[in-house]
Amino acid sequence: MEDTLFWSRLQFAFTITFHYLFPQLTMGLVWIIVYFKWRHLRTGDERFASATRFWARIFGINFAVGVVTGLPMEFQFGTNWAGFTKFSGNVIGQTLAMESMFAFFLESAMIGAMVWGEKKLGPSKHFLTVLGVALGSWASGYFILVTNAFMQHPVGYSTAADGSLRLESLAAFLLNPWALVMFLHNQCAAVVTGSFVVTAVGALYALQGKHAEQASLFLKTGTLVGLCSCVLVAFPTGDRQAKMVAHHQPVTLAAMEGHFTTGANVGLNFIGQPNIREKRIDNPIYMPGALSMLAFGHMNSSVQGLDDFPEDQWPTNIDLLYYAYHVMAGLGTLFILLMVIANLQRWRGRLETSRGLLWALMLAFPFPYIATTAGWMTAELGRQPWLIFGLFRTSQGVSDVVNGGNVLFTLIGFTGLYFVLGVLFLFLIGREIAHGPQAIYTIGKLEVSHD
Amino acid sequence: MIEIWYSILAFMLVMFIVLEGFDIGAGMLQYIVGKTEAERRQVVSAIGPLWPWHEVWLIGFGGTLLLAFPNILATSFAGFYLALFLLLWALLLRGVSIEVSGHIANPLWRTAWHFIFVASNLLLAILIGAALGNVLRGVPLNSDGKFALTFFTNFSPRGQVGILDWFTVSVATFVLITLAAHGATALAMKTEGPVHHRSRQLARTLWKLVLGLLVIITIESWWVRPELFCGMLHQPFSWLGLTSVIAGITNVFIGLQIKREFRAVIGSAAFIAGLMIAGAAGVFPVMLYSTLAPEDSLTAYQNAAAGAGLAIALIWWPIALVFAVVYFLFICRHYAGKVKPQEDNQNPY
Repeated sequence: MEDTLFWSRLQFAFTITFHYLFPQLTMGLVWIIVYFKWRHLRTGDERFASATRFWARIFGINFAVGVVTGLPMEFQFGTNWAGFTKFSGNVIGQTLAMESMFAFFLESAMIGAMVWGEKKLGPSKHFLTVLGVALGSWASGYFILVTNAFMQHPVGYSTAADGSLRLESLAAFLLNPWALVMFLHNQCAAVVTGSFVVTAVGALYALQGKHAEQASLFLKTGTLVGLCSCVLVAFPTGDRQAKMVAHHQPVTLAAMEGHFTTGANVGLNFIGQPNIREKRIDNPIYMPGALSMLAFGHMNSSVQGLDDFPEDQWPTNIDLLYYAYHVMAGLGTLFILLMVIANLQRWRGRLETSRGLLWALMLAFPFPYIATTAGWMTAELGRQPWLIFGLFRTSQGVSDVVNGGNVLFTLIGFTGLYFVLGVLFLFLIGREIAHGPQAIYTIGKLEVSHD
Repeated sequence: MIEIWYSILAFMLVMFIVLEGFDIGAGMLQYIVGKTEAERRQVVSAIGPLWPWHEVWLIGFGGTLLLAFPNILATSFAGFYLALFLLLWALLLRGVSIEVSGHIANPLWRTAWHFIFVASNLLLAILIGAALGNVLRGVPLNSDGKFALTFFTNFSPRGQVGILDWFTVSVATFVLITLAAHGATALAMKTEGPVHHRSRQLARTLWKLVLGLLVIITIESWWVRPELFCGMLHQPFSWLGLTSVIAGITNVFIGLQIKREFRAVIGSAAFIAGLMIAGAAGVFPVMLYSTLAPEDSLTAYQNAAAGAGLAIALIWWPIALVFAVVYFLFICRHYAGKVKPQEDNQNPY
């Protein structure tokens, strides 16, 4: 049993983390593609058409890997987390079914035509397919985040005589305030990833002195969208998310911040190592009163520390939670800084000649992936030891007929398969970027030859 | 209410098998009907850009099963643990092989991915067949309403069974051949040139084989689950299903004979749908039959989602279905007509 729980948690964590590397790009990138396609429709400018084609091909590869790695997620509800499904299926079944019915059918119908069907469909219908994929992917994100929000902050349910949950109000469940805030925070973060990738490719071409027109278009669009989304991720969405945690999961906030003793005028730690045994932060650098201010709006507000809660309700891995949260918040701050500098230089007309800055922009693209992953680790580790916060423990959710060895076997299988998939992905993306946006394909025949 | 959701689930599974069955069937015949690289690419093009839409019916089936019968999903998915992950990995490899084989015009690259494509399609057909066989035969549910299946025990379909025994293996064989026949028929409709001729020839042979296997499967099922046939007698839906089977197979042979492939494809779809409808109606209300003690079987009535959920979902589900069909038709119109042998290009559709 213990084994099954451990390996099932690790398998879910691994498969979801790998999976989410792809949707976070596609959900952000898709609106930039919508913009390019729309500009092409309005102006007829070929620059926008080839930018659309280039990014649609990058999008297509990401989307395919996202789809195939997404399938195991839904299966695991039944295979590994049968206890959870039995307990809450009456409620979460709604959004999981809605996701496939409303979002997946839309995305799956449009994606092939979006990536390959430009000639067949004509410009305006092609625009519709891009828009369809954009709406489908965001709808899918919303339904899955409602499901997660229910696990973080359950609403709209009642408990039946046999102990399992019943849906009480679909509206309350779908409009969970936690879901609304988390959706905005998460989608802005996806746009950050998308814009950093577009910027990085622009910076690469600018540094190489290739595809000058496209480089400048990518840099301009990427940095502008990047600045807006970086700011929005922190404020208001990140701020509201933190307040939501402070309000509904005070024990999680205390663990995220490494805040051990209840008190007023609590400082915000920037750096420092949590010391669980001694119940303190070692070597902290902090800003006095800032946590009270951020969480409750006043320097003198009291913030509950971990000592206010019984230890069996503490998140199970406080160290990892603390570091994940600080990595996310720290990177988020640096992103704003980088994008402010980039936009200042662009405004002065010097962006494409500042080689140091271009290098930084080119090498910055992995960090939004790290920040987003750390953010999700914060959300999911912070929820522990609960599977549904306050209602149902993670240890109750695991499938009791599956033994640990089977889960380890499938986990090893996923590790190998995803490694190969990752290498394949990088290889294909690398080729696309090396070819650049100039490769224009006509029906049946390549204008620009490969290799 | 419970009958409606059971029918919706059966409908979604039928849609998956009929639509994706074409992709799987055509995919596993890729090397038999396609002798040159251009012809093999033609097979992929005939499958077309809507294969993800076909596959979503399986995901939709899973989501709807979770919505309507969460206990059944939890019990069966956990019980079929390893087999389901095999299915997942086969789906994963197949999706990747369709998407990436076109990226590089190098014969080794293409051949490697075509091989994975054919192999994963074969594996998928066998796994889907074995899964259907297991549902027909039953699983070793104990009195706690739980089970865990190994791949095989003593190959007997009674008592402590495994996933594979002589009955489920013969159902898997039947499904494999039927999907191949279905795929060949649809390929004959969607293609022209040599692939068309080979597919048509192959379809005619395969459908005869399907008829022979159907007789064997029927006798075996009679022996393994006799109450299935008693159930069918009392269910009007089963009669509808059986009518569809007979009308379907007749039209398959007529359509292939007089070269009206569209008619043959409709017949093939009706044949598969009819068999599944007759089976689903025959076993109702039992969803998971216990081979250890029939009284421990899980039924639709005891395991349906309680509370207001099902009534609410019945409002949004049909709306979502209408949208799903509209998207399909919007794209489908642009890909109507026969596919020619493909010149070497990057665009698979």
